[in-house]
Amino acid sequence: MMSQQEQLLVALQDLDLMLKETEDSQDQFEKLGFDVSGVEELRKAREQLLEKLDRTNLSHYERILKRYGRAVAPVTGDSCLGCFAKLPTSYRSSLYEGKVRTCQSCGRILYYP
Amino acid sequence: MTVDELLGFFDPKLCIFDLKARSRDDALEEIVDLVAPEPESNNRRIILDMLRNREALGSTAVGKGIAFPHGRSLAVSRLMAIFARSQEGIAFNSLDGEPTYLFFALLAPPQDRSNQYLPALGKIIELVRNDSMREKLMQVTSFDGFSAALREAPTS
Repeated sequence: MMSQQEQLLVALQDLDLMLKETEDSQDQFEKLGFDVSGVEELRKAREQLLEKLDRTNLSHYERILKRYGRAVAPVTGDSCLGCFAKLPTSYRSSLYEGKVRTCQSCGRILYYP
Repeated sequence: MTVDELLGFFDPKLCIFDLKARSRDDALEEIVDLVAPEPESNNRRIILDMLRNREALGSTAVGKGIAFPHGRSLAVSRLMAIFARSQEGIAFNSLDGEPTYLFFALLAPPQDRSNQYLPALGKIIELVRNDSMREKLMQVTSFDGFSAALREAPTS
């Protein structure tokens, strides 16, 4: 089971991705007939998310985001899909319940679907 | 992108011909139930949050009874398209203020290497722009019927 902090970090990454794509492809979305005028609404939602995140987790997220462009990587099998490093199988155990798991190789925050 | 390429992202299991939902949020939940059916699953919550955020950015109900909920999420591993239809119509905050009947949801991973997400979205929009196509899609009762209707769409 994901910790609440992990869920918030994944939601933050999805939100950051949406903000970036809207900024990069605004013309394309508008040509397709979509209203993408609510960027401020998304920014407010982001602020609300940030308030719920521990400072340590947030600063880790921001550091990794700066380094790789995306801070959270999904896990498939027992590999980090950011750098393909093998992860400890113990990451799936209850030892890590409630904790934010990061890849020991690249530092990305891990998302276990 | 061809119609057949687009149809490759749809799946007979990812179609609802009679949405039960009566509200926008319930419609999104019913759609997400198809791709992440376990009520407590992480993926379900994450995809729903992403689609709700996308609606906050601006309604994806572009009018004429159609909506295209879409977005990228870490909880999605490949590009997938979902067709859903409401016979009664749903208040989806559409741009023309009218109820929405036809839903084409497009979910993509954060990065699709072949970059098919926006072209797929554009192709669906092109196909359903036509009034008679929307009328046909209100009548279809199976995935085969849905596919056949899209294949018969006039090409621009």
